[in-house]
Amino acid sequence: MSLYPSFARPRTLADAATLLASLASGGVVIAGGQELMPSINQGVLAPEVYVDIGGLAELRGITETPEGRVGIGALTVHRELQTDPRVRAQLPLLAHAATRAGGGRQVHNRGTIGGNLVAQHPLYDIAPPLLALEAEVEWVKGRETVRQPLAAMLADSRHGLGSEAILTRVLVVPMADGLGWAYEKLKASGGAYGSANAAALVKLKEGRVAAVRLVVGAVADRLIDASEAAAALLVGRRFDAEAGAALAGAVSALVAAPLSDAQGPGPWRQAMAGVVAQRALAAAVARAGRG
Amino acid sequence: MADRDPGMSAAPATGGYVGRAVRTLEGRAPIAGAARYSSDFSFPGQLHAAIVRSPHARARILKVDLSGARKVAGVVLAMDGREVAAHLGPIPHYIDPATFGGKSAEVRTMAVDHVWCYGQPVAVVVAADRRTARWAASRVQVAYEVEPAVLTVEDAIAPDAPKVVPGFDDNVIMAVPFRNGDPDAAFARADHVVTTTVRIHRFSTQPIETRCYNAVWEEETESLTLYGTAQNPHPLRHVLAKVLGMPEGRIRVHAPAIGGAFGMKMHGHPEESLVCLLAKLLRRPVKWVESREECLLIGAREQVHHLELALSKEGDLLALRDRFFANTGAPSACPGWGMAFLTGLTMPGPYRVRDIDVTMTALVTNKPSWNAARGYGKEATALALELALDEAARRLGFDPAELRIRNFVPADAFPYASPTGLQYDSGDYAGAVRKAMAAIGWDEWRARQAEGPREGRYLGLGIAYELTPEGGALPGTMVAGYDSSTVRVAPDGSVRVLTGVTTPGTGNPTGIAQIVADELGCPIEWISVVQGDTTTCPYGFGNYSGRSTIVGGGSAALAARAVRAQMEAVAAAMLGVGVQALRLSDGVFDGGDGRSLAFADVAWAAYTRAYDVASCITPPLEAQATFRPPNIRHSPDAEGRINPYPSYSNAAYATVVEVDSATGQVKLLAFAAAHDCGRVINPLLVEGQACGAIAFGLGGALMEEIRFDAGGHQLTRSFMDYVMPRAEDMPGVTLVHHDSPNPDTYMGLKGAGEAGVGGSAAAVVNAVNDALRPFGVAIHDLPLSPARVWAAIHGRSGAAGGAA
Amino acid sequence: MDDLAQSVLVQWRVNGVLHELDVLPGLSLLDVLREQLNLTGTHMGCMTGHCGACTVMIDGRIAKSCIAQAATLPRAEIRTIEGLMGPDGRLSPVQQAFWDEAGFQCGYCAPGMLFSAIELLAETPDPTDAEIDSALAGSLCRCTGYQSLRRAVRAAARALKDPNPD
Ligand code: FES
Ligand code: FES
Repeated sequence: MSLYPSFARPRTLADAATLLASLASGGVVIAGGQELMPSINQGVLAPEVYVDIGGLAELRGITETPEGRVGIGALTVHRELQTDPRVRAQLPLLAHAATRAGGGRQVHNRGTIGGNLVAQHPLYDIAPPLLALEAEVEWVKGRETVRQPLAAMLADSRHGLGSEAILTRVLVVPMADGLGWAYEKLKASGGAYGSANAAALVKLKEGRVAAVRLVVGAVADRLIDASEAAAALLVGRRFDAEAGAALAGAVSALVAAPLSDAQGPGPWRQAMAGVVAQRALAAAVARAGRG
Repeated sequence: MADRDPGMSAAPATGGYVGRAVRTLEGRAPIAGAARYSSDFSFPGQLHAAIVRSPHARARILKVDLSGARKVAGVVLAMDGREVAAHLGPIPHYIDPATFGGKSAEVRTMAVDHVWCYGQPVAVVVAADRRTARWAASRVQVAYEVEPAVLTVEDAIAPDAPKVVPGFDDNVIMAVPFRNGDPDAAFARADHVVTTTVRIHRFSTQPIETRCYNAVWEEETESLTLYGTAQNPHPLRHVLAKVLGMPEGRIRVHAPAIGGAFGMKMHGHPEESLVCLLAKLLRRPVKWVESREECLLIGAREQVHHLELALSKEGDLLALRDRFFANTGAPSACPGWGMAFLTGLTMPGPYRVRDIDVTMTALVTNKPSWNAARGYGKEATALALELALDEAARRLGFDPAELRIRNFVPADAFPYASPTGLQYDSGDYAGAVRKAMAAIGWDEWRARQAEGPREGRYLGLGIAYELTPEGGALPGTMVAGYDSSTVRVAPDGSVRVLTGVTTPGTGNPTGIAQIVADELGCPIEWISVVQGDTTTCPYGFGNYSGRSTIVGGGSAALAARAVRAQMEAVAAAMLGVGVQALRLSDGVFDGGDGRSLAFADVAWAAYTRAYDVASCITPPLEAQATFRPPNIRHSPDAEGRINPYPSYSNAAYATVVEVDSATGQVKLLAFAAAHDCGRVINPLLVEGQACGAIAFGLGGALMEEIRFDAGGHQLTRSFMDYVMPRAEDMPGVTLVHHDSPNPDTYMGLKGAGEAGVGGSAAAVVNAVNDALRPFGVAIHDLPLSPARVWAAIHGRSGAAGGAA
Repeated sequence: MDDLAQSVLVQWRVNGVLHELDVLPGLSLLDVLREQLNLTGTHMGCMTGHCGACTVMIDGRIAKSCIAQAATLPRAEIRTIEGLMGPDGRLSPVQQAFWDEAGFQCGYCAPGMLFSAIELLAETPDPTDAEIDSALAGSLCRCTGYQSLRRAVRAAARALKDPNPD
């Protein structure tokens, strides 16, 4: 905690990683500031050192990797996710979910994908679609570069704010043609945050579910990957009302400890997990049917 | 009625600004980024204060250790409540409950020895900049002994409840019966009695600009100037003089542009006198800017109503009983608690029932205090009555609109003496309901509603009425019914209007300028309106109760007439014609004989030819006038009742909602209001006020809520938790006018500032309950969060959430 | 390797004027604009990114200045509400439309609403009401109920399409 924090703006990723490793504690990585500044302004957080990674060219850009993934630099802002032609064409689920993020244009213009993920905030809108897409993330820590599934990162609270590691890239396999997708965000009110969110991907074969990915957010401390439960219920079936109801029940049952906060009380959140799952899947199926 | 001005209700002959959609004169500055709000002022040597607040609802203060704060570089002063109390007296109540037979608690600037609510100021730190002050404040150590807190109405009235105010024998600050006729007999002969319990939650006005006070000490004159977010500069000056022990003449209050007020910036707040003291002690300017977290401490509106309606089988409302309780939080010098009184006084709203038995009980609890909130309790009257009427309509099978129309005070009954002693000036309530229903397309929606359930869609139609007394005056308080204005014409013909009323940003200066332009027959661009400064403006009471255009406009009109008479005398002398022959319009005096004089030439002559053509007047071209609405009555009638309001605006609200039965979400599909605010000066201003109030109502009905945990810690601390309507939440509003001019005010004005919060909220709740009819449930606990609606539909009463 | 700094030198062009400033780490752009540059047209409503009263334009895109840390902007082109007027002191067409249509009451929310409208109309010259509502989603107005704001944005759209109507 410091009234007079210090500040560094390293020029290269290597410099940044070295600096962070050298700071015993109290170093906080900052870029767009959308996640950190509210807490700093409210006096909840008072870092000793800011390490501004906003100048690192290595963290910018949306590219195709040699192995055919979409590589999204950690400094990519929501606005770019919404408008970038590659993301729109190859990862429409992500492009759409980025439009549903709260805070309005102002925040979409500055909030980065890296900041959003590192926040590990259960109410945010970028992690559920990426998890549904089985994205991977790339880290630099000291001299090490680590690549791991997003799921692993999200399960590990040491990767949150204040971590020594720098999230550099998100890697996603492009969505296959004909894949149905949907992002369903249920808001209790006109604010920024959802009370339950669901990202769904569906492959259909002759009108029946052939494969499904389903992630539910904003209902518990961590995202819930309901893909297995969904697959067990749905693969080989038509997604009709009965299947939807069964899915809703199964997803709600996965919510062991629902959040209870300004977005709504626990029992309702638990029930809503099922509702958004059902709706997301229905929309994804409809889209797959059209495509 | 001796001081009724016979000319008041007549429009001036010339001009033509009144009634037109004139864009506001003061509206350019904020668009250019040039408006100066309180926090925009800074002075050489500026210091900043930060306040340490209690994290407990009720506790003894064992020790306040300021040493940690004093060690921080840049800190110039740190004080605790006990030290502050040595310099400052108790804060006089804006409306003292004792004046009305209630109990008066002594309210100190900061807690001394004992804390009575979460967020109460305990210590203050002053430093060279805001960041340092806040940092140092976090270094203050306070040792508390936490005591059990009184949080709910039920807690507060329990016989063994701890006393919120040490020394009180219970937690009631005021209990008032409003009784008329023979309600018991009416209940005995009724065919039906319908009971409803309505719970209105705690929500708040939350202007986007928080409060700010900046006190400047002038050693030369040993005087203080307070720049700040004050709706009532002169009365605030009086309060500061009392608290600081200084003469009023040595204090100036300057209220610059305000970023929304809605009652929250009415005074009595501890920070007002605190920054003055700090500036006086330090002999340097001291500024405090409220954080949003602090602003959210200011509550309002929380009430529980137990209503009983006695009805005949034809649907005549025979009697009304209502036992209601207001949870006003900890005692405060602000006028918030008085909202509860007005809730009772406004019963039974627009309905002609005479046999009433209403009891208001205002309680103190260990929640943070209230301040006034737009609607000032009248919104609660509307919510309680309108929800109960719909409950009766549902249970007994009446059409909700017909039930209302049957029971309204009829249009030919005005002026109408209400059973609580109010004197309604005018209105046509049934006509307004029909207009609102026509405007929204009621019958078509009803047809669509019938289709709905088959497709799994649940539409609901809701209607509600609100009667909103505005422009109030309470005897023995600074809530005055009258106000004053000065009109000056300069030698170049430009016009300056100084008023005792102020604007919270709603455009009343333009409304006043329109009135003055018509009275003076000059272009509106020549007029500037000055408000909010105790050194330049006539003594006045500022902004509250939708009064600013009624009394500000009325007094400015009277002053302008006097100045016009001066100018006509001079013009007539210059032209050598009789005053009667003169015509004045567009800034030109027409002699009626082909000759004319420019307004500016007449003004010049008035100043420079005092021994010649202007000898007929006493220069300068200036007049001050007061408008005192004649129909306010403070001498009690046989029953001891008074009429504190000159104007009774009223409106019907109609809305259509769709309820998502799977999630409990409520979507507003359409909204219409038929509004009677008397004569309309500027439709843009009235539309703005009406839509703003409707947004308050919709927000309150559906989403806004200040929540606490079981220990009395406030959970709602930012706009993440306190969710207010955004553009996407607001349906388009169809606003139709259904105006009946007020016979007792200037040109028939009624207030337009407060109406709409309760009526629109009630319409939404009624519409949701209409949509829920297929499920056989209705909700009377606000807000109608999706979780609550869902729980009602799915029979999950425990799942609605809810905190103290 | 950069050293840790106690203050950061930034170079900003603010409303066309170049400034070199020392800013303290941790401070918001809002604080620096208001306190160091005395540009008080940008307002504080929450400091948590919810109200939009602090909106400015950074390098051509709108942003909430309360949650942009000043030190993270070593070089930037910044436009505040004071910079929306033409050099001749005339209101821009969007500003004029907001004035004519009585878009605001108290005007405290003006930075958010004006900048949101400007960015929206630059991309979507003919917005639907739903697009207007979603463009204003980052900002709160407590006075108007949004009806007049919507009307003002529509009028601004017309004014931008036809700058010289007669
Ligand atoms: S002050 Fe920046 S969003 Fe409210
Ligand atoms: S006009 Fe007052 S907040 Fe928007």
